[in-house]
Amino acid sequence: MMTSLALARNILQRIVRDVRTLALIVVLPLFFVLLYGNSFSGSYSGLRLVVVNEDNGLASVRTAERDRITLTVDLGNAFLDAVDRDVFDVVVVEGAEEALAAVGREAAAAIVFPKSFSNMIVNEAVRASGERKVEVDGSTATILPSDPVDGPTTSLRIDDSNPLMSRAVLASLQETFATVLETQQSSLTVGALLDVQPLYQGKIRILDFTAPGIIGFAMTLITVMLTAMSVVRERTSGTLTRILIAPVSAWQVTLGYTLAFSAIAVFQSAELLLASVGLFGIRFVGSPGVATLVIVLFAIGLQGIATLISTLSRNEAQAMQFVLFLLIPSILLGGVFWPLETMPAAIRPLAYAIPLTYANSALRKVMLTGAGLANLAFEASVLAGIALVALLLSVLSMRRQASAA
Amino acid sequence: MPAEEVVRAEGLRKRFGSQIALDGLTLTVPQGQLFGLAGPNGAGKTTLIRTLCGLLRPDAGDVHLLGWRMPSARVRSQLGYMPQDFAVYDDLDVIQNLQFFGELYGLRRAQVRERAAELLGLVQLTDRRRQRVGTLSGGMRRRVSLAISLLHKPRLAFLDEPTAGVDPKLRRSFWDYFTRLAEQDVTLVVTTHLVEEAQRCHVVGFLMAGRLLARGTPSEILAETAATNLDDAFIALQERGEAR
Repeated sequence: MMTSLALARNILQRIVRDVRTLALIVVLPLFFVLLYGNSFSGSYSGLRLVVVNEDNGLASVRTAERDRITLTVDLGNAFLDAVDRDVFDVVVVEGAEEALAAVGREAAAAIVFPKSFSNMIVNEAVRASGERKVEVDGSTATILPSDPVDGPTTSLRIDDSNPLMSRAVLASLQETFATVLETQQSSLTVGALLDVQPLYQGKIRILDFTAPGIIGFAMTLITVMLTAMSVVRERTSGTLTRILIAPVSAWQVTLGYTLAFSAIAVFQSAELLLASVGLFGIRFVGSPGVATLVIVLFAIGLQGIATLISTLSRNEAQAMQFVLFLLIPSILLGGVFWPLETMPAAIRPLAYAIPLTYANSALRKVMLTGAGLANLAFEASVLAGIALVALLLSVLSMRRQASAA
Repeated sequence: MPAEEVVRAEGLRKRFGSQIALDGLTLTVPQGQLFGLAGPNGAGKTTLIRTLCGLLRPDAGDVHLLGWRMPSARVRSQLGYMPQDFAVYDDLDVIQNLQFFGELYGLRRAQVRERAAELLGLVQLTDRRRQRVGTLSGGMRRRVSLAISLLHKPRLAFLDEPTAGVDPKLRRSFWDYFTRLAEQDVTLVVTTHLVEEAQRCHVVGFLMAGRLLARGTPSEILAETAATNLDDAFIALQERGEAR
């Protein structure tokens, strides 16, 4: 144990003496958080929506009392009022051709309301929901369902070159339409039909949802790089040979490395978490102790994998390339941006072979839903298993390290 | 086997791909001998030393060090090894390097201080003990490396070109020290390219293409090659080796 502590202290001492490496270790997590916190909000803004509003605002309906009457509802303008201005920059123009042509160039979408827009909406709404009473000129009129209304439809042209964006545009516009329709069909609002009970009161933003994965990815990136490079350098410089020829067991060496590099990884994770919560208000409702446990297990596994990578590499350049074989699947398959459930079944086993998948899932549960250790038993055991296997393999590979030098 | 045979290697074979590095090599070194390993570049000197230390596993053959069959964890505390590369921590200062490796050998701080004082005196780096190793010259770094290798008072030391880049005056004091160690029954196996160093060895082995072409005291080598100095003797041996 003393020997392992001496090894760990040696590694940390050298890092502290190497001012530039020390600075990088401290600054890198902060840099990461600042970048993703500012760049990745998870929602769109500033998308240009071109609107042509030819709607005359009138709806002609049949009534039981006085045959047809004309109501002024002005749904085209109601729509314009309801558009989510956080997402869209609305530009109102004349001329449908010009508006539709703008899509794919400066506009993300264009919508053209025909002259009879209000008329159509009101009649369709009544036809769907049945007769209803309205106050007109001081007396009550009963509006009767009428036959389907013919006329020009409403055009919505969307730039779908970016499917993620076009889906968001469509979703936002549909929501706007729903709002407008609710003004005409109050009995059929979503709120009236469903008792919606969001488990977390809708407080989990997309930024919160992605944060644990991004923190886990940053840990993977930083820890594996630092450890793999340090061990390769220790070998190419010949100092590892000296360590291995000394009366020190492979276990002691591995333990020393694990202590030092896991300590650095835990420090950097703490920095990542604190900066995320402090600077961007990332949701963290769980126990810091449980989060720390997850991070420690994950860190031990990562540095073990990094040691293995260093065994397979003759020099730093090779180690770098090997590291990518861990990083690329981690970011794509670790469930950081899209859930595992969206991945084709054929590739899912690969996702389950990635440590980040479990760290991400566990951190998400702790940070977002406040899950305790009991709810993390699966993730924690897998991470512990990965850590153990990585350590065992590191010990075995230590023997190879010297002869590979 | 006789206890004084500190190094006993039999039938060592090692190849790297198609390159034969050790070709059925057999070697014994008795206790307290200063054994010089000479030979042209690529003769297999470093491979031999690494194989003897247990860093490389031979394809065939056996190595016994201090009576233990290698690889053995038991000899490690009594084994000193100075690799050809510096193998020092550039970011640490001289004394920190010594302290770290001293701890690996289980030396207490006071012991390290005492040994460091002696060895830094030998390699003439006492006034640089607090200097960062990365800022030292190549020759000085090699001196740090030598001090590390001998810190734990090994009974058997393998030194791979310990004097490369070291100035002649200091080189001489190194060899005086090696001779003193041998008198204290420490066994040393030292590789060298320099004739004047080979002359100071008790026994010299001339290695070429993974085989020991000659082995004997410097005067025996001279007699065998009918040369007047070791330089000519080594050249004669090399030409003999190339002719085979």
